[in-house]
Amino acid sequence: MTERPIFDKDLLDRCISCGFCLPACPTYAMTGKETSSPRGRITLMRALETGRLDDDDPTLAEESSFCLGCRACETVCPAGVQYGSLLEQWRDHQWQGRRRPWIARVLMAVVSRPALLRLQRLVRRHASGPARAAAPEAPVSLMLGCVERGLYPGVSRAVRRLRPEVSVPAGQGCCGALHAHNGDSEGGARLARELGGRLPGTIVTTAGGCAAHLAHHVGRDRVKELSEYLTEAGYEPAGQVTVDGRRARAALQDSCHLRNGLGVTRPPRELIAAVADYVELPGAGDCCGAAGTYAMVRPADSRAVLDPKLDAIEAADLDYLVTVNPGCLRQLQQGLRRRRSRVKVVHLAEFLALAGG
Amino acid sequence: MTAKLAEALAGIVGPEHVSVEPGALAAHARDATPLFDAMPQAVVHPGSAEEVAAILRYATAEGVPVVPRGAGSNLCAGTVPLHGGIVLVLTRLNRILEVSRDELLARVQTGVPTAKLAAAAAEAGLLYAPDPGSHTVSTVGGNVATCAGGLRGLKYGVTRNYVLGLEAVLPTGEIIRTGGRLWKDVAGYDLTRLLTGSEGTLAVITEATVALLPKPETTGTGVAYFPTLADASRAVTAVIASGIVPATLEFLDQKCIAAVEEFAGLGLRADAGALLLFGDDGQAATVEGNLARIEGICADEGALEVTLAEDVARADALLAARRCSLPALSRLGSLTVLEDVSVPRHRLAGMVARIDEIAAAHDLLIATFGHAGDGNLHPTCVLDPDDGEAIERCHQAFAEIFSAAIALDGTITGEHGVGAAKLPYLEERLGGDQVALLGRIKRAFDPAGILNPGKLGS
Repeated sequence: MTERPIFDKDLLDRCISCGFCLPACPTYAMTGKETSSPRGRITLMRALETGRLDDDDPTLAEESSFCLGCRACETVCPAGVQYGSLLEQWRDHQWQGRRRPWIARVLMAVVSRPALLRLQRLVRRHASGPARAAAPEAPVSLMLGCVERGLYPGVSRAVRRLRPEVSVPAGQGCCGALHAHNGDSEGGARLARELGGRLPGTIVTTAGGCAAHLAHHVGRDRVKELSEYLTEAGYEPAGQVTVDGRRARAALQDSCHLRNGLGVTRPPRELIAAVADYVELPGAGDCCGAAGTYAMVRPADSRAVLDPKLDAIEAADLDYLVTVNPGCLRQLQQGLRRRRSRVKVVHLAEFLALAGG
Repeated sequence: MTAKLAEALAGIVGPEHVSVEPGALAAHARDATPLFDAMPQAVVHPGSAEEVAAILRYATAEGVPVVPRGAGSNLCAGTVPLHGGIVLVLTRLNRILEVSRDELLARVQTGVPTAKLAAAAAEAGLLYAPDPGSHTVSTVGGNVATCAGGLRGLKYGVTRNYVLGLEAVLPTGEIIRTGGRLWKDVAGYDLTRLLTGSEGTLAVITEATVALLPKPETTGTGVAYFPTLADASRAVTAVIASGIVPATLEFLDQKCIAAVEEFAGLGLRADAGALLLFGDDGQAATVEGNLARIEGICADEGALEVTLAEDVARADALLAARRCSLPALSRLGSLTVLEDVSVPRHRLAGMVARIDEIAAAHDLLIATFGHAGDGNLHPTCVLDPDDGEAIERCHQAFAEIFSAAIALDGTITGEHGVGAAKLPYLEERLGGDQVALLGRIKRAFDPAGILNPGKLGS
């Protein structure tokens, strides 16, 4: 038996088991089982803490992994339970060493080594360099997310087109969200603080997941997700996004941690509506199943979460689906490609750049 | 024992719907009631009334306890498996079978969340009136089993007023249908009403036929702040005496206002001693007139401020804030023991005063909110879960609160149910003869005593 406490007592005591979280939980919707609801998982955490359940109990292993970590439960919890933090503490215990999913181990090793991150640059060119416009009074740094750096270099290039005053400091590391969500919250916190120390001024990020994690560790006031930053900076789009000469129809897929962790929902919608006909998808705020490493660790469950969303997207007659997090971008691109859908999935930065921003 | 039980249950519902792993058992050891916790031996999710019947036949033959459970949101420890056995989770029975505009009724399976039934009714231009605070979570079956109330009880009554018929499985395995699609039906004892509020001790409800109403043309909501709860109570009595029966008359005391405001951020006034949330529905002119009259009466009774919600969003936000009073209070201390006494409406102020006296005498923080129009109060004691001595004082205080309610011609529970939490006080409310009769009724339904043992009539 490992050392107790595993959980921060104040956090664990917060839950009164009222069950208000049940309707918000994607995995409870899938199984209808108490064990895969936020309330049930907190009961499991308590059973782990008190020793009612053994450390190697299979339900503990399964449910700590089955949870998407989307934090939708937090927004409906009147008792203010910080479920995301509890999940991090649970996985710290549950996923020590070799019990961590191997994909997560590989990814964490890659992003922890700047040399390997630099290798990505040989393959893809992303924007980097100092601000191109007159330096603003306070410096603004664009944080390059690890996934985006590798897979979507166009996103950061688009940001610099939209806002030339943003500088892109070289030598950035990982923000640590990946670590925090995969059983190394201490490492995650350290990486966030280090990155916060390296990037001067306001940190702008194009990844909702990174934004929430960084804000938690370096302070909410220092971190702006792109849509927040653009809105506060008074960004005005130059034109419209058009398809065949008409205004495009576009919808947003929220980023869970941006919505549920930081409470940012309006800015991305308003920006899309400024350049296109905005369509609110049913369930736009529900998790798409990407959920960090989840899509790779649990592909079948990830698809089961995604499928109803793909149905909603196809039924909405869209031209574009706009995302604010690279994980969602990848998940939805792959999902819609499998269905041979004509809907284009883009990041908000690229979408606004299409309007000639 | 467990292996044999698991095998028998798997033979009925399929192995994927039976759980005997320690984790699943631990997750079903409690419901939304604090301080009650007991491990079952198996958790089973049946998919039909026939499967429920087979499980109950087996349990009766083997003498295994069975505790029916919906969403597990009850506040009386009604679904805690005190004697172990099987927790029978009914959430797979989640289909809305029918919504009829012609007959003004709906037929739903037991595990449908109440808010989903309400939404389906609304889509057909109809209203399902009972709306317990937990309606997004709780199930129709659970609402029937506890005869749940809600925020519209004053004008519309509670769950029992809307249950027309039930399909239920007896502990001996027979599937019965009580009542039906009829507003008038006196053939036999009213078993529909007997099962409503029977807390899973007589039969397992698998389907309900409920009455719907035409959806009111409009609704309106307002808020009045008073210096004290006694002032608010006086206003409530005056509103009813004036001939208005509004849909909603809810109150929060000062401690609840502060807690709810912290969660919901609606700009509620923290300096007021009490908040009265009032609302009505119906034709626009009537609603407008009633709200204006309530506004006037509140002002006459010394309200600090009265405002009407400018739009539906604001009204919904206010009602949602009221619904989350209990969990919001837990921000003050992580153990919240909530009770549910009810008194004749005109005695509300007297009851609130008694609660405050008792809280002070036992040095406890008790915040009170509830349904002013029904005289139904939810005194909630906020505690530190590690302070065993304070928990003891809390039990003592609630025993006194129950006695005080009974002395004021009230009851120990208005809408949450007796469950395991209030069973020790039931005889004080009903008297020995009635409690004995409950026992005889229980044995007539459940000769082996397997259904939810340790609760009503056991």
